[in-house]
Amino acid sequence: MARVKTFLRKHGWSYLFILPTMLTFSVFVLLPVISSLVISFQKYSLRNGGTWVDPIYKNYIDAFTTQSGVFLVAIQNTLVYSFFTVISNVLVGLILASLIQPLSQFFKTFFRAAYYLPAVTSAIVIGMTWRYIYNAQWGLANFVLRKVCTITQELVCIPEVRWLSNPDIALGSITLSTILTVPATAVVLFSAAMGGIPKEYYEAAELDGAGSLRKWWNITLPLIRSVTLYLAVLYTIASFEVFEKIYIMVPAGVANATQTIVTQIYQNGFQQFNYGVAAAQAFVLFLMIAGVAVFQFRALRSDVEY
Amino acid sequence: MNKILLKTSLFATAAALVLSACNAATPTAAPTAKPAATTAPAAPAATAKPADPTKPAEPTKPAAPSATATAAPTVAPPTAVPAKAKGGTIRKSTSGFKGTLQYWVLGYQPNRANATGRLMDDAVAQFTADNPDIKVEITGYTGDQAGFTKLTQAVQGGQSVDMFRLPSDILPLLVRDDLVEPIDAYLTPDDKADIYPNLIEAVSVKGKAYAWPLWVPPVGMYLNLDVFKEKGVDLPSKTWTYDQFVETAKKLTFTRANGEKVYGFTAGIDPGLVNAWPLFMNEATTVLPLNKDNTKFTFDTPESIAGLQRFADLALVHKVTPPDFGSQAIADIANGFKKGVYAMYPEPSGASSGYVADKINFDVWPMPIGKSGVPVTAGGIGLISVAKGKDAARVKAAMDLARYLTSKEVGDDVTGFYLAPGARKSVKVADPISKFEPFVASCYITPIIADWPAIRTIIHPELQNIIFGKKKAEDAMKGIAPEINKLLAAAK
Repeated sequence: MARVKTFLRKHGWSYLFILPTMLTFSVFVLLPVISSLVISFQKYSLRNGGTWVDPIYKNYIDAFTTQSGVFLVAIQNTLVYSFFTVISNVLVGLILASLIQPLSQFFKTFFRAAYYLPAVTSAIVIGMTWRYIYNAQWGLANFVLRKVCTITQELVCIPEVRWLSNPDIALGSITLSTILTVPATAVVLFSAAMGGIPKEYYEAAELDGAGSLRKWWNITLPLIRSVTLYLAVLYTIASFEVFEKIYIMVPAGVANATQTIVTQIYQNGFQQFNYGVAAAQAFVLFLMIAGVAVFQFRALRSDVEY
Repeated sequence: MNKILLKTSLFATAAALVLSACNAATPTAAPTAKPAATTAPAAPAATAKPADPTKPAEPTKPAAPSATATAAPTVAPPTAVPAKAKGGTIRKSTSGFKGTLQYWVLGYQPNRANATGRLMDDAVAQFTADNPDIKVEITGYTGDQAGFTKLTQAVQGGQSVDMFRLPSDILPLLVRDDLVEPIDAYLTPDDKADIYPNLIEAVSVKGKAYAWPLWVPPVGMYLNLDVFKEKGVDLPSKTWTYDQFVETAKKLTFTRANGEKVYGFTAGIDPGLVNAWPLFMNEATTVLPLNKDNTKFTFDTPESIAGLQRFADLALVHKVTPPDFGSQAIADIANGFKKGVYAMYPEPSGASSGYVADKINFDVWPMPIGKSGVPVTAGGIGLISVAKGKDAARVKAAMDLARYLTSKEVGDDVTGFYLAPGARKSVKVADPISKFEPFVASCYITPIIADWPAIRTIIHPELQNIIFGKKKAEDAMKGIAPEINKLLAAAK
């Protein structure tokens, strides 16, 4: 007891500083999360509140069985989308940051700013741009294919592609659009992390005869591992929660081929007012993200200091 | 090495800037896209049961307008209409209520910022002129899922809404949660004689009516007359058959000298839309999604399957539709029609006023007649409901205002008030809305039941699968029948 009192006398005041943030976090994040977990076991109405469902896990069963089990398709689509976009975002960010790193300060700043443009562009605008690019009739993508056919005198001719209306490729088209958008955050963070690596390490490696690639592989990559982990987690969460892009690019869907976890939650919660089922699906998403994040932390954790 | 890196980086940056430039360029499509794409708003969507599809169209019926906010700008008077002399037969409320009514309006923008804003402000001004003790505060909400969510949550909250405009497919969810007042006690004999009986039936649940029908925007076939002229194709008869429609669409599918492809037909395929449904519902009078008492899924009958497959053949066999047919954004369809790359497409009345404003050379035709031999179209009902309340005088005042806002009188007081064919026989509308009047009588309205949003969500992807050629109509419809029947059984 005496130790507690001593501790509070010595450090208690410091907790006052984090109290406002903790309160805000509790009210606007923690409570809603707990509340949605509770709702996932209820039949819920905004006016009348919730009543427990019977059996208590009914909403979780419904989450996986309504609409002929489309939620499983949504999970599969989300995993596919996330796998490709997370890997590509981290890799592209790493490569671009590495290309920028040796440049003068002026060019570094210029390129960082240029690459950050997509991050300050509305996701809605980006989605509409890609919808135009992919329009099978007058979009840029098929226009380019037609031009290539003409220029090569019909040597290289790819038939008109239904980018967003062929269920077999619609998800791939959306994934590709994300891959082709510069991962702004990754470029900036990788670039900053690389800039923080002491020059002496590279100089010592040069004395040992190491070339650019060797230095990049043996010095740069290991020392930016913590940033890589952070970005992997960040992009995983973002890709698991993909919604606006799909909602804008294929508002009517493509025969469930572009259903993701969040589009399912939106459908059940806001279009059909099945808040309980939507909350159950949201909690499944939470568990998936947590599981993947834990895996990523274990696989990529680093205690490197320099 | 640095030079190489610099060059590589410059190239990558250039690519990124090109993409950014594309982003900047696209917004042109955006503004039009959103409004049109929101199926719900405008389309007072088609829910319910009203019309008997077997009944032939009656050219004399009233008409109406479309709830879509997009239509508004062209018909609304630019300035406030001065309140008329007191003494309107319907305008005067007998509620004795003194206070402020909260009225939520679909597509309303304050300060007369859009047509709905101007028209509604003017109409409410007429009402309050005769009822000085009653004030009305109007809140707008957007005609998309976000807007409907805002509305339903406000109604469920039970505090901030006395009455509200809504499309018919939302009504059953609100009725299920006991959030709206029945209107039966407030319907006068005149109301009952004036409002189309099938519309009252459509908003009724277990014998009680829960909304004032405002208008019915039925689907008609929009024809781009410039494309017809360009190809020298004569306009079809207004009693055209489905086969004649297909032949016309084939003639209007061609490639221009500049390489631009023109398609004879397209349609919005969306879970919230029934625009294309008349093209397969015309196979037989029995082709309906559910049976008459909404207890059984019936799109899996042989007639329905034949109609659906025939409809899909427009893309799969006749090739008269654009490559993205089945998943096109609604805004893209409207833009394509205006640009003359689509010759025909089905849509409710809301779009017509906009096309007039844009000086598009178009006309509206009845939907083609199929094997059923009778005209059939589909649509929704624009409604005004009154939220459940404990203050009887307040509820009565809201009912009085709702009656006025759905009456012939409001149309007389505020020019251009009706944006779709009215729900009352006495309401008359002008061109282009009047073009849709003859379709009202043959308008099928999707079931007004609480499970309909879930059911249409199940039907939609399978309808797309049929159009994309991924499934045969029979497999698709028979595949979803058990789940929909289970839903209907549970509701019973």
